[in-house]
Amino acid sequence: MKILKSKGHESVLAPIWNWKITAFAAALLFFVGILAISFGPVSLGFTEIIKTLFGLPGGLTGQDRTLLIDLRLPRALLAALVGAALATSGAVYQTVFRNPLADPYLLGAAAGAGLGATIALTSAGANLYSLLPIFAFFGAILAVLVSFFISGKFFAEPNSLLLSGIAVGSFATAVQTYLQQRNSSSLRPVYSWILGELTVANWQVVTWSSIYILIALIILITVSKQLDGLMLTDEEAYSLGINPNKLRVIAVVAATLATATAVSASGLIGFVGIVVPHLVRGITHRVTNRGLLTIALVGASFLVLADLGARTLLSPAELPIGVITAFVGAPFFLVVLRKKRLVNQ
Amino acid sequence: MIKIEDLNVRIGQRNILTNINIEIEDGKWTCLVGPNGAGKTTLLKSLLGSQAYSGSIADSGVEVFKNHDRNVAFVPQHPQIPIGMSVSEYVMLGRSKRDGWGNESNKSRNLVADILQVTGLFGMQSQFVSQLSGGEMQRALIARALVQEPTLILLDEPTSALDLHHQIAVLNNIELLKESGVTIISTMHDITLAAMYAEKIVVMHQGKVLLNGTSDFVIHSPELKTAFENRINVFTLDSGRPVIVAKKDLSN
Repeated sequence: MKILKSKGHESVLAPIWNWKITAFAAALLFFVGILAISFGPVSLGFTEIIKTLFGLPGGLTGQDRTLLIDLRLPRALLAALVGAALATSGAVYQTVFRNPLADPYLLGAAAGAGLGATIALTSAGANLYSLLPIFAFFGAILAVLVSFFISGKFFAEPNSLLLSGIAVGSFATAVQTYLQQRNSSSLRPVYSWILGELTVANWQVVTWSSIYILIALIILITVSKQLDGLMLTDEEAYSLGINPNKLRVIAVVAATLATATAVSASGLIGFVGIVVPHLVRGITHRVTNRGLLTIALVGASFLVLADLGARTLLSPAELPIGVITAFVGAPFFLVVLRKKRLVNQ
Repeated sequence: MIKIEDLNVRIGQRNILTNINIEIEDGKWTCLVGPNGAGKTTLLKSLLGSQAYSGSIADSGVEVFKNHDRNVAFVPQHPQIPIGMSVSEYVMLGRSKRDGWGNESNKSRNLVADILQVTGLFGMQSQFVSQLSGGEMQRALIARALVQEPTLILLDEPTSALDLHHQIAVLNNIELLKESGVTIISTMHDITLAAMYAEKIVVMHQGKVLLNGTSDFVIHSPELKTAFENRINVFTLDSGRPVIVAKKDLSN
């Protein structure tokens, strides 16, 4: 093409994404992870921890080893998985719904999970507490499915899906409140579950939740580069060679799987899905979804750190982790809102 | 040559396009004109594959939207503006299909830099697209379409948001494309401008093709007035260039 001759301006265009940022985020997660399993009522040495983890001689023994392997490690891993799941889903929902304030609970997943958990906790007679994660998981999936079903057009009109998600969420919350009122003894456990908790972490929980979350994350990170096309109109997306409807279905299904798993493993941990994507985008000045892996890594670090705070700030008592994330998240959310207003002016 | 045969589009109970049969010549600029609601944008969407249709829009027997080797660029009238995306990122999206999503070759980076210069956006590459003015945004859209190195470019009202000066600038940019052998299909409200740039004009009215031919033929056809419900006058300037003017007085 005549006008398309190259003159060489390579250095002028900033790269769309710098993979050093991703490497830095991975290093951050490793560092924060070691920090988190080291601190607590009993502190464990860094070198001993690393030796134990890599099976080198001179590692921890006895009680300290049990503390590390059976308590702190699964808990940190679960925090990392849940953090990565929520942050990634949040970023994906924000892209799919073209709404910077969308969060993973948008389509009724939170309220559905809450209702499922409440049913498990309030069911008379049978002790369903051990089945709580399963109830929460299906509650979340069911609520999102109902939102899809009601919105009718599925993905042709993202906003109608968003609105039906809000309606389904309100309905599920209403039923949940009714059940709670009928069984006032369940108020406390339901409340503490809603605030989010990682105290249930053990290897069993880590194993099953890691399967679903990792599958979902692999799918999302695989399609992440194409997700940038969803920031445009559907016609523009078609012209750039992607089928926006298909991509939205894949993205929302995978993000919902990750969210439902995270919620059922750890309750409702708020704000991670909004804070972390905006934090990463704000610091890197990049909105591209190529940063999705970085968002996952930073989300994992954020929640591992928040859990460390939850365990140690009022030690030996524990704060609900949702309180920590909201305490950091809410003011941050306001800053994002304010900055957004300034940009639009 | 793209052959559009028996193209019909129905949305709900409404026929948006009815029995469209036209041929789009390669390397020519074809302009779709007609009043609002004539179905011009729907025709573009059908070409892109984002609008389901019956009939066929084919080039050598292959539906245009199914031919993945073919690069069809699209410049929308109402773009979705991604919040927080820089101009260079936005233009670079146009290379996604060629380089594969998530990769940019060095060739692409040079090309984007060149095109930013051609479209007068160089120096603004780090600005957010959300901060661009209407004219700058239009040029960013054209730039993105150009870096696609398309064989076919579709433009929906490329000049509607612009003042006269920028209209000419944008149309000249598009004309540059034609010189490199790209087929252009655009919609336009302004027939005078259409006649000035496009070789072929298709006049649409209520989902049907009323007139189809060279710009000269269409402009001087008596049926042209029918398409615009007799609300226009056609004058010819001394230079021989036709000018179409809306009538204020509808009595005759």
